[in-house]
Amino acid sequence: MPEYKGLKIPARATDEEMRKIHIEPVPDEQKVDKAIQYLDEIRKKFRSFVLAMESCVKCGACAENCHTYLGTRDPNNIPTMRAELMRKIYRRYFTPEGRWFGKLVGAQDLDLDTIMQWYSYFYQCNECRRCGHVCPFGIDTCEVTMIGRQILHWLGIVPKLHASVGASMERTGNHTGLTKAAIVDTLEFLSEEIRDEFGVEVTFPVDKEGADILYVPSSADFLLNPYTLMGAGMFFTYIGANWTISSHMTEAGNFGLLFDQQHTMRHLFTRLLHTAQQLGVKKIVWGECGHGWRAWKMYLKGMADLPLRWEITHIHNEVAYYIETNQLKLDPYKIGRPVTLHDPCNYVRACNLAETLRKVIRACVADFREMYPNREDNFCCGGGSAILFDDPEMYQLRIKFSAKKAEQVRATGVGKDGNGILCAPCSICKAQLYPMVEEHELGVEVKGLIDLVGMALVWR
Amino acid sequence: MAYFIGQILPYITVTVFVLGVLWRLWRWAAARIVHDITLSPFPQTKGEVLGIYLREIILFRNLFKFDLPLWVGAWPMHMALFGVLGGHVVGIYFLGKQFVYLGASEELSKHLSELLGTVMGTIFLAGLLYLLYRRAAIDRVRQVSNPSDYLMILLLIAIVSVGDFMRFFPAYGIEYEPVREWFYTLATFQPAAIPDNPFFILHILLVQVLIMIFPFSKLMHLFGMFGMRWIVNRVQREPAPGLPNVDVAAARAKGIGLPQAGAGDAA
Repeated sequence: MPEYKGLKIPARATDEEMRKIHIEPVPDEQKVDKAIQYLDEIRKKFRSFVLAMESCVKCGACAENCHTYLGTRDPNNIPTMRAELMRKIYRRYFTPEGRWFGKLVGAQDLDLDTIMQWYSYFYQCNECRRCGHVCPFGIDTCEVTMIGRQILHWLGIVPKLHASVGASMERTGNHTGLTKAAIVDTLEFLSEEIRDEFGVEVTFPVDKEGADILYVPSSADFLLNPYTLMGAGMFFTYIGANWTISSHMTEAGNFGLLFDQQHTMRHLFTRLLHTAQQLGVKKIVWGECGHGWRAWKMYLKGMADLPLRWEITHIHNEVAYYIETNQLKLDPYKIGRPVTLHDPCNYVRACNLAETLRKVIRACVADFREMYPNREDNFCCGGGSAILFDDPEMYQLRIKFSAKKAEQVRATGVGKDGNGILCAPCSICKAQLYPMVEEHELGVEVKGLIDLVGMALVWR
Repeated sequence: MAYFIGQILPYITVTVFVLGVLWRLWRWAAARIVHDITLSPFPQTKGEVLGIYLREIILFRNLFKFDLPLWVGAWPMHMALFGVLGGHVVGIYFLGKQFVYLGASEELSKHLSELLGTVMGTIFLAGLLYLLYRRAAIDRVRQVSNPSDYLMILLLIAIVSVGDFMRFFPAYGIEYEPVREWFYTLATFQPAAIPDNPFFILHILLVQVLIMIFPFSKLMHLFGMFGMRWIVNRVQREPAPGLPNVDVAAARAKGIGLPQAGAGDAA
């Protein structure tokens, strides 16, 4: 169990693992100086960060609106306190009031303990942006978390989980290290599953040159969420699309967003553009992944260094379009179970998908029950930004972080008879909620949204 | 001392405030909006963006929705603050006769001016006391507070208390005329002596302290909120849905995906 002076911290990547993601870890005695240097560089670049540092009034409105604070009651999990871990250093080194009246304004010299506090608390933040959404000024503490993690990354402090995913992205183009053989194999298996369960013939074209559409699934769909991939396959087959999945770029997520928004994130961006170019596709359609969709929808355009040749849309947008134009025949009574929808944070607070999700789910299920609060006011599942750590102490935190979500699901009553469905159309939400619905005994099964589309399609 | 407070300090105050604020704003402006972090649902027109700004500035809608007990103190306090600031400017400039333009008699106008000032000043003080109580009494707010957060609110309470005291006890108060005269001499760089009223001098001193601290304190949220909303509330349009070379009707007519008759797939 990794621990540092009573702080809860996830297992850290070793120096060797850091070198695999191009980082030479900074020796302890230089960490403080380096951190201040990196902070200085970053504060001059990011206005969102500077404003979060300089205009918070500490009103405390964010506290009761953050599920990590609600779940743990740890003051450092109050969003403004989390930011204060950075702010007190920022004040000390980069503001006159902090330099001259440090005690008064809560400024503090940087030391190793504070750096480890960053590591602990910036990796207890789900980057769900609910604090930014409720803040009277719109101060987005997620930006502080992201920059904290960026500095930690440059210092060589990254959770094992994130570092290994980073290495895997570079090796294979996806988070889970799938090779082409494994991809083809899994997809053939899924074709058989579809034939057995739904009685339809679906093939998954891989690396098909001249395809019109490149579909980019979450690599977790190959291992954990097969019904999402099957649903997408059935949808594309149903509408008669000329589509393909690339073995070179099989990742809807982008962990770069979560720990290194520069080198790592850009690497996958470049990889996508290269792949689309090679295959000669006309449009790119994105699979179910919350943080990933945020990265690709909102960040790619600013980091691609060229005007994008391809439009990138989310599969939910496309499905909703074909539903709206009455081109998909869906039977909502096929799924005879009560369903509630968990709005993934990145969809509803960063990517404008709230109403789209509802259009699709209402067409697919007959007994749909909203949870409250919903849409952009929704609470995070507790797994956001991939803090899906398995070490026992961090796992306990995940249970606490998902307590609010459990309360919301219970209030809908969908799990009363033990046959409810909790639709969570995001890979990280799914990975978090699969175990959490068991921990909280919610009586629901976790499914994606495209899973439901696939199940509800009427073929004849 | 009165000479320093009334004839020298005001120029220092204004200089510190203007340069301080410009320096801070320049630091903000020099940093860029690197990534698109617009909060959804995305506004579709500039009008909707303006709507978000206005509902937050005028109604404090986020606080109302997400932390009502805070709104109960913060909203009246800020509204009273705007009222008091406006009242100072208008009341002193028109010597309390501003309501004559709305048809009141001079006498009535002065009464109205004083009544409004007293009401606003009282709400302002009550709001500040409520916020101070909240900061000290509620765990989560106390935990996030620094000494400066208390000092700031105490300074405001001191300023408002002195102001309200002069309102409630006119014998210790001051008329509009000498104040306007004194401001006029300040503005023309021929500063005359500050009116000889210890409460007024104290009031002016504390206000100047506040104004000098302003650029180096959380009071910058006045500008910060515009800066932050400028980043997170923007017009965004979705790309058109619809996939290339897709003809669903034709695909369904062909029966794509259905097991072919006679293909021998009995499984």
